[in-house]
Amino acid sequence: MKKTLTAMLTLGLAAGPALAEGTVNVLTWEGYADPSFITKFEEESGCKVSATYVGSNDDFAPKLLGGGGIYDLITPSIDTTALMIDLGLVEPLDTAAITGWNDIYPKFLSQEGIQRDGAYYGMPYVWGAIAFMYLDSAFPTPPTSIADLWNPELKGKISLWDDKSSIYVAARKNGDMDIYNLTDEQIEKAKAALVEQKPLVRKYWATAGELVDLYKAGEVVISNTWAGYQSGLLKAEGVKVTEFIPKEGAEGWMDSWMVVKDTPNKECAYKFLNMQLSELGQCGVANVNGYSVANAAAAKACMPAEQYAALHQDDPNYLDSLQVWQALGDRFEAYTNAWNAVKAQ
Amino acid sequence: MAAIIELQRISKHYSKTIIGVDDVSLDVEDGEFVTLLGPSGCGKSTLLRMIGGFEAPTHGMIRLAGQDVTHVPPYRRDVNMVFQDYALFPHMTVGENIAYGLKIQGRSRAQARDMAVDALALVGLPDKIDQKPAQLSGGQRQRVALARAIVRRPKVLLLDEPLSALDARLRDQMRIEMKHLHEKVGITFIMVTHDQEEALTMSDRVVVMEKGRVAQDGRPQDLYDQPASPYVANFIGTTNFVAGSLTGRSPAGTRIASAAGDFTATADLALPQGAEVTLGFRPEKVRLLAEGETAANVVPGRIAEVIYYGLGLRTTVELAGGTQVHVDCLLPDSLARSAVPQPGAPVRLGIEPHNVFVFAGRVAA
Amino acid sequence: MIARAPRNLSALLVLGIPLLWIVVFMLLPYGIIVTYSFWLKSYPTFKPAFQFGNYLTLLTDVQYLQVLGRTLKISILVSILSLGLAYPFAWWLVFRCRSQALRTWAYMAVIAPLWVSYLLRAYIWKTILGTEGILNSFLMSTGLISEPSSLFLYNQFAMVVTLTYIFIPFMVMPIYTALERIPLNLAEASADLGMGPVQTFLKVTLPLSTPGIAAGFTLTFCLSFGDFIAPFLVGGPDGNLIASVIQTQFGAALNWPLGSALSIVMLIIVLAIVSLSDRLEATAHTGAA
Repeated sequence: MKKTLTAMLTLGLAAGPALAEGTVNVLTWEGYADPSFITKFEEESGCKVSATYVGSNDDFAPKLLGGGGIYDLITPSIDTTALMIDLGLVEPLDTAAITGWNDIYPKFLSQEGIQRDGAYYGMPYVWGAIAFMYLDSAFPTPPTSIADLWNPELKGKISLWDDKSSIYVAARKNGDMDIYNLTDEQIEKAKAALVEQKPLVRKYWATAGELVDLYKAGEVVISNTWAGYQSGLLKAEGVKVTEFIPKEGAEGWMDSWMVVKDTPNKECAYKFLNMQLSELGQCGVANVNGYSVANAAAAKACMPAEQYAALHQDDPNYLDSLQVWQALGDRFEAYTNAWNAVKAQ
Repeated sequence: MAAIIELQRISKHYSKTIIGVDDVSLDVEDGEFVTLLGPSGCGKSTLLRMIGGFEAPTHGMIRLAGQDVTHVPPYRRDVNMVFQDYALFPHMTVGENIAYGLKIQGRSRAQARDMAVDALALVGLPDKIDQKPAQLSGGQRQRVALARAIVRRPKVLLLDEPLSALDARLRDQMRIEMKHLHEKVGITFIMVTHDQEEALTMSDRVVVMEKGRVAQDGRPQDLYDQPASPYVANFIGTTNFVAGSLTGRSPAGTRIASAAGDFTATADLALPQGAEVTLGFRPEKVRLLAEGETAANVVPGRIAEVIYYGLGLRTTVELAGGTQVHVDCLLPDSLARSAVPQPGAPVRLGIEPHNVFVFAGRVAA
Repeated sequence: MIARAPRNLSALLVLGIPLLWIVVFMLLPYGIIVTYSFWLKSYPTFKPAFQFGNYLTLLTDVQYLQVLGRTLKISILVSILSLGLAYPFAWWLVFRCRSQALRTWAYMAVIAPLWVSYLLRAYIWKTILGTEGILNSFLMSTGLISEPSSLFLYNQFAMVVTLTYIFIPFMVMPIYTALERIPLNLAEASADLGMGPVQTFLKVTLPLSTPGIAAGFTLTFCLSFGDFIAPFLVGGPDGNLIASVIQTQFGAALNWPLGSALSIVMLIIVLAIVSLSDRLEATAHTGAA
C-alpha cells in the first residue's frame, strides 16, 4: 500500500516537469532574483521563481532551522556556507549537471567553505570586496587608511557595518592581518579599538538601504561598504562617493548558490542554477547589483569592456589582495561576542 | 433677624434665547429653611449652584452675610452643599470624607477626627467612620453627605434634591430627620426639590419657581390656601378649574358666573365687571351635599366616575357646561354602603366662598 | 444522563477552546523557551542540557547588565515622558474641553497613529530629527542655531522621543478612561469643602485616576522594554536594547540557549512590573463605588 502510494507520488512528480510546470523557492539577497533576468528564465523554463529576501547571512540558519522546508535554494556568503553544511541543511551538488562549472575562477572553486569530503556544496555566483567609501565633498585629500575611520575630526560622521566584520576591520587597523584566525588577545585588542571608536560613530549600518540613507541625509561621510552596491545606488541619487581599498587591505566575499537538502523541486532548481551561471544570470546580477561575477567566460562574453574592467573581472592582483571571508567555526562565538560587547557599551 | 443670603436681581443667560434664571430677587433669613420648588428646568438648581459658587450669574448680585460673593469661588464661600448623588469621595473613608474640609480650616488631625465623630453621631451613623462609601447603603451615604456638609458649620447649607435617590419609605423618614437636624444645628438650609410634599413638610418657606422666575414665595400654608396663580395652585396640591366671568360684588364676596352655575368667592380681585376669570377649588375642600343639606355655593352635577382609595373616595363630577372636577371625600363610617354615590347619579357640590380661588384670565384646566 | 451529556460537552467547548489556545500559544512557547534556556551552546547549534550557565553568563558578563540597565532606563524615561504629556492632555480633554466635536477630534488625533504602520511612525522621526531634518531646518530658520546639529538623531534622546510618540496612545487611553469615570461633582464637592483647584487635583482627581496611570505606565513601559525597531532606526551606537540583543542571540550568534535565558529574564521583569501595577490598581479600586 505504502509502496503504491510512493510510486504514485513519484509518477506525479515526474509528470510535473514534463508539463513544464514547477516552482523554485529561493531564499536570497535582493537583486539575485531580479525580474530583469528572472522573467525570461520563467518563460523559457516553465519554472516559476518565488523569492524571499534576507537582510543578513545570519538569517539563513534560523529561517531553515525554524521548521522552514519551503526553500529550495539559498545564497549564503562564503563565511556562512560551512555552517550550512555543518547544520546539514544543504546537499552536495551534481556539478556535472551545471554547464559552465569549469569557467568559474579557480580561486573560488578552491574555497574550503563550499566543499566537504570531496564534494561541492556551493556554486560560486558573485563576489566583491568589503571596500571603504567616502563622500567626495568631505575629503580634499582622499583617505587611504582604515585609521581614517578613527579620526577624531570626523566625529559623528563615521559609520561601520553592524556585523562581526567590524572585528576584522579593527584587527587590521591594529596590524593583526590574519583576521580569520585572531587570538583571544587580538580580538580583545580589536574590541578595545572599536570601543575607542564608538564615540565617533554616528550609526552602525545594518542594511544596504540604511547606509545609502545615511549618506543621502548627510549624516556620515566615511564607512565601509559592499563594493559596487551602495555606491551605485548613491550615484543614481546624485550623491558623489568614491570607493577605496585602504592600505590595510579589504575583505573579499563571495556568495554561492546551495541546494537545500531533499528539495522536491530539484529539476527546476538545477535549471535555475544553470541560468544563474550563464550569461543571462551573471550579467543580470552584475547589472542590478554592481557585483563582480564568478563565471569568467560568461563575464567576458556579456559585459562591455568598461564594465568588465570596473568590476575587476580580469584583475588577478585585485582578487588576490582581498582576504576572502572564511568560516570561523568554533571561533565564531568569540568574534560575535566581542562585537556584541562593543555594541552593549 | 438679618438676611443671611440676599439675591439681588439675579439672572443667568446661557444665550440670548436660553435663560436659566430670570431676574430673581430673594432674601433668606438666618436660620430659615427655604425650599426652591418647581419642575425640572425651572431654574431652581441653577439658582442653588449660583449661591454655592459653581456658576456665576450673568446679572445681579449675591450677598452672603452682607458680603458680595457674586464672583467668589466655592472654596472661598462659607456655604456647603449636599449634592444630589452625594458626591462622596470613593477613595476615602467616611471619616476622611467628613474631615476633608476641616484641615483647610486649620483643624488638627485629632480635632478633625473628633468633629467627624460628632457629626456622624448627629446624623445617626456613629459606627461607620472607617468604612468606605461603597460599603454603605443609599440612606447612609446621604447621612454622610449631610455630616460632611454641616461639620464645617457653614453659614448656609445647600441641599440639591437631597432625597430624590432614596426609596419612598426612607424618604419619609429622612424628611423628618432633616427637619430635626435643621432645628438642632440652627444653620440656614436652602433646599431644591421638585416634590411639593417634601417642600411643604420640611420648609419654613417655599419659593415656587416657574421658567426662571419666582412664581410665589411664602409659608407652605399660605401657598396652599392662597396660591397666587393657577400654576402654583396646580403645582401645590390639586386644583379644579372652572372658567367664569366676574359679575359683581356683594358683602359676601365676589360674584362669578359660569356655565356650571354661580359662585361667591371671598377673594377680591381688582377686576372690572365682566372680566374673564378662572375659578379654582381643591377636591378636598368640596363636599358632596346630602339631601336637604346646603352650602354658600351649591353646584349641581352628575357623577362620572368613583375611585375608591381606602382613605376615602375620589369622585369625578361633570358639571353643567361639561367641565369635570374632582371631589375627595373621606368615608365616614356612618355612611352606608348604599349611600356611596353611583356613576350617573345627580349630585350637588357644596363649596365655601373662602375655599374658592379666583384668578384673572382664562387657563386651560 | 442523556440530558447532561450535551451540557457537559458545551461546557467543555466553552472552556476548552480558550484553554487550548492558552496552552498552545502561550504556555507551550514559554515552556520551550524555558527549556532552551538550560541548554548548552555547541557548534554548530546547541545541545540539550540542564545547567544554569546561560543565566550565570547574564549575571557575570557585564555587557548584558549594561544593556538591561539601559533598556530599563529608556523604558522608564519613555513612560515618564508619556505620562507627563498624556496626563495633562487627557485631563484637558475630560475636564476642560467643552466642545464634544473638538474632544473627539483631539482624542482621535492622538489615537490615530496607532493605525499607521509602526515602521512609518518611526521613520517620521528620522526625518524630523536628522541632521538635514525638519527640526534642524526649523531651528536654523529661527536663527537659534547657525549649523545643523547632529544631537537629535541616532542617540538615546531620539529613541526616547520616538518611543514616546509611538506608545503615547497607550498612556492616553487608560488615563482618559479613568478620568472620564470620575464624577464631575467630586471636584465641585472638593471646592465646596474649601479646597482650591490644585488641592482638589492632588487629593481627588489624581488619586482616583491612579488605576489609569498604573495601566498606562505598565503598557508603555512593557512595550518600550521589548522594542527593537526604534534602536534600529533612530538609535545610535549607544542604543543597543535588550530586545536587539535577544534578536542577535537567536540570529547572528545562533545562541538560542542564551537568547532564551535573556527572554526569561525579560519576562520576569515585565511580569514583576505588571503585578506591581495590578496591586496598585487593586488598592485604588477598593474604594471605587
